[in-house]
Amino acid sequence: MLLPKFNFYEPKTQGEALSIMNEYGLKAKLIAGGTDLLANMKRKLLSPDALVGISEIEEFKNLEISDKTIKIGSCFTVSAIAESAVIEKKISALAVGARALGTPLIRNLATIGGNLGSARPAADIPPSLIAYNAKAVLKSVSGERTVLLDKFFKGPGFTEIQPNEILTEIIIDIPDGYYGAGYINLGIRKAQDCNIVNVASFVSLDEPNGVINSARIVMGCVGPTHLRANAAENILIGNKPSEKLFQEAAKIAESECKPIDDFRASAVYKKAMIRVLTKRTLDIAVKEASLK
Amino acid sequence: MSNYDVINSNAPRVDTPAKAKGKAIFIDDMSMPDMLFGALLQSPIAHGKILNIDISAAKKLKGVKAVVTAKEAGLIPYGVSPARYDENVFCHDNVRYIGDEIAAVAAVDLETAIAAASLIKVDYQELPALLTIDDAMAEGAPVLHKKYPRNICAQVNQEFGNFEAGLKESDIIKTTTFKSKRQDAAFLEPQGCIANFDKLTENLTLYSSTQVPHYVQRILSMVLKLPIGKVRVIKPYLGAGFGIKAGTNTMEIVSCLLSMKTGKPVKMNYSREQVFMFGRARHQFVHTMTTGVKKDGTLMALKNECYLDGGAYTSFGIATVYYSGSLLGGPYKLPNMKYDGYRIYTNKPACGAQRGHGGVIARACWEQQLDMIAEELGMDPIELRLKNMMVTGDITCNDFNMSSLGMKECIEAVKDGSEWNKKKGKLPKGKGIGMACGFFVSGAGYPIYRSDTYHSTAVIKLTEDGGTALLYTASSEIGQGSDTTMAMIAAETLGIPLSDIRIESGDTDFGVDLGAYSSRQTLMTGHAVYDAAAHVKQQILEVLAEELNISADEIDIKKGIIIFKKSQPDFSKLRERYIKEHRGWTDNPSADDPLTFKEASRIAFLAKGIISANGKYKPHQLGGKFKGAAVGTSPAYGCSAQIVELTVDEQTGQITIDNMIDAHDCGFAINRVSVEGQMEGSLSMGLGEAMFEEVKFDSKGKIINADLAEYKIPTALDMPPVKAIIVESSEPNGPFGAKEVGEGAIMPTIPAILNAVYDAAGVRIFELPLTPERVYQAILDYKNKKAS
Repeated sequence: MLLPKFNFYEPKTQGEALSIMNEYGLKAKLIAGGTDLLANMKRKLLSPDALVGISEIEEFKNLEISDKTIKIGSCFTVSAIAESAVIEKKISALAVGARALGTPLIRNLATIGGNLGSARPAADIPPSLIAYNAKAVLKSVSGERTVLLDKFFKGPGFTEIQPNEILTEIIIDIPDGYYGAGYINLGIRKAQDCNIVNVASFVSLDEPNGVINSARIVMGCVGPTHLRANAAENILIGNKPSEKLFQEAAKIAESECKPIDDFRASAVYKKAMIRVLTKRTLDIAVKEASLK
Repeated sequence: MSNYDVINSNAPRVDTPAKAKGKAIFIDDMSMPDMLFGALLQSPIAHGKILNIDISAAKKLKGVKAVVTAKEAGLIPYGVSPARYDENVFCHDNVRYIGDEIAAVAAVDLETAIAAASLIKVDYQELPALLTIDDAMAEGAPVLHKKYPRNICAQVNQEFGNFEAGLKESDIIKTTTFKSKRQDAAFLEPQGCIANFDKLTENLTLYSSTQVPHYVQRILSMVLKLPIGKVRVIKPYLGAGFGIKAGTNTMEIVSCLLSMKTGKPVKMNYSREQVFMFGRARHQFVHTMTTGVKKDGTLMALKNECYLDGGAYTSFGIATVYYSGSLLGGPYKLPNMKYDGYRIYTNKPACGAQRGHGGVIARACWEQQLDMIAEELGMDPIELRLKNMMVTGDITCNDFNMSSLGMKECIEAVKDGSEWNKKKGKLPKGKGIGMACGFFVSGAGYPIYRSDTYHSTAVIKLTEDGGTALLYTASSEIGQGSDTTMAMIAAETLGIPLSDIRIESGDTDFGVDLGAYSSRQTLMTGHAVYDAAAHVKQQILEVLAEELNISADEIDIKKGIIIFKKSQPDFSKLRERYIKEHRGWTDNPSADDPLTFKEASRIAFLAKGIISANGKYKPHQLGGKFKGAAVGTSPAYGCSAQIVELTVDEQTGQITIDNMIDAHDCGFAINRVSVEGQMEGSLSMGLGEAMFEEVKFDSKGKIINADLAEYKIPTALDMPPVKAIIVESSEPNGPFGAKEVGEGAIMPTIPAILNAVYDAAGVRIFELPLTPERVYQAILDYKNKKAS
């Protein structure tokens, strides 16, 4: 399989990149690691006139940490996320997702921005980021805007990013107090797999062993985009974590997901696994929250 | 400790430095001056009649040098076995699967070749696509090949002993049906080749990623109508084959055809997708088996019915359908065995031979059934197996001679190594342990075409200075380590260090060798190499004996030194002559040094010219006079036992393999580290087939997972720690007692996993692969059944 012909640009600055995108719009595709894009181009699913390589732009590769926020540049690699001690400490479920993605070779090339921008409902990075209530920064020549990741995905392969925009940064506000999150992905084999189902759950407690004051459950592979289990989240809030409560929440989450049958697994199995993984990720989240 | 200096050790492989440094040359690395690139036009529909082919637009494209169809290629049928030559180079009447080859182009670069192929216009009349065995055997279904009504490509009906009588004497009778899925061998290197036809001399050279240069040479000669002597096939380094590269592929013929048309070298490669489309890996099998045993566990009778989904052509299939019956003849004493096998044509890529040819799924079905029987008898599964186990000297009901069989030693090794007695039935919920056995041939007893040919020849010649032995063999190093094995056998036999052997292999100009398939090279090529080395050594000893006026029987060679078994004669005159020959050289021996092989070889050269010898091997007369006896008879049989420990997550159905232990009787390990490597590789491949692997099709017959992302082989994280135990039973028919390990070691893997799943979760699963969903569903069904 050969790549179709295309022009290649490699801007050195953000400004340069933005003006190229402004000129080309839909005819250009951004490329960072290329782990998804190039495979699709070889399959002739995509053949953009131009590729704009942005991985040489230093400001897109930054990791900025303060007491209140973590800002991750869109070209920050998945392996760098997997190895970051701060990410592991503050937002561990993201690190778990990063370690679940592809293989070491793919992780060395793949970027957080690419994993969000390609908008695959089975992707490993989005669920935990949504669970942490992360935001995406989108820039264009005419300015910048910030979009909640929960509202960012529009369908398989489609996002809020406009043709002249670049996803430059992910912002995670570090939650106050006692919080934790869990991420589990389920596939056929232990690595380099397309998930059958994945779930990230976030909870925060008002005090150690206290009641849940916020919760987010994000389900992957069971809809055109990642889905929130809103009803399940609602029954958690105001209650103390318990086996019974989490089982109940898991059961509700199962009823909230909308999987389809495909060659990877049946919808029935995916639903059942949403229930199992919701329960298990809630257990991880609460365990982590209680240790904070 | 062994008395050997070279063999039976852990030798670094002779090809390791080149591979580790990236210096090893594979087809993809090769190019030639003026080389053209070839591309195929392959059918986009699974079944149809070709109404018209228009190549005019393709011919006109700039850079295109040749376009060929069936008109140019002719219609000489070919395949793997002459019993089923059912392929043509290009389709001329019908297309039979998505990927069937219709035309090819040679152009100045690959982009142009691909573009030109896409400009070829073909009109089809679409026919119903027969995608399952049921579709293909249905009343009134179209027939893929006229000679084979109801699309039965091959049918085998055999009975050894009397099944019904055996069943009457049985106390327990068990019937199960087991279904596997079509495999892809997922070797790292897609097939590729470069053909170079010299129009002046009419010599054709093909460099190809093949396991069998000899068979490819014969097919090229036959299809292209060239004398064998004008066709040379060379195999560079290979990124494995596992059986799929043991037949001739379309590109191998087409690149030659294009080179003959253009007079230029032509390179062709399969993409990964084309590797899947070409297929030729393990069939899908559906086995139904009925086994009868006495109360004391004595096996009395087995009836085995098998349907193979063959795909559009036969490839190795005629052998496969025999193997899926015959390989259950051992390793247990089984007096009565009936087999009915049917290989069915379907509109999918052809299936063929893959590691453990034909026997893997039969073994999986039966070894699981044996565990079910053991449970019903209240017998430990190991006890049941030991009770029925053959020993050295036993002959199976279908005439396989177990000239050596360390099966019992294998079972005991894994039993002790896994602490079976402490664990079986005593592990916590969700954890399980399972075992199984298996055996396999050490080379097919007969070539694929009927002939009295030697199966292997080898030539060894010594360099004129005496320092190096050059070993030439047409055998195929495909990653399994055969070059190292052959070099070690040559070194040991000659009595010199491994570093003094230089091996060249994989070239039809080096002699005849049937190649790397059916686990044959260690035994067969090994014999030929031993034969050549022994003759070279004898020539040296004879010259020495004459020069020193002693008997050749009194002399030996060891570690490169001449050993005088009785008293040491005065060899100073010989040494003087040697030093005179090498006057001014820095490495001449001093007076007190023992006489070396190098000195003796130079003296032998001075007496006789280049010292060389031809070695050869073909099997002795093997058993079996019945139809199909040629499939399964072998000079020797390797065998193995495995124990698997695993964990089943009952909520998700996910299985984690925790530990595997394998004991394999390879007769004698030439290179211990290579034997262990083959065992580990077999386990990994068996694990993949058991747990993940399945080639999937859409409703039109197109493969939907023709890549290594969606066709899932085990990753490093899926592989558990493996303990590989070598058992050596000393095979009388093998060189130094050696027999196979390359394929037999895969036999017990799948059933050992199945039996461990039962131990862990209480469920028997009769369909592969063991995906989380399938296991989850089985557990759910089991719980529901228990509740009701």
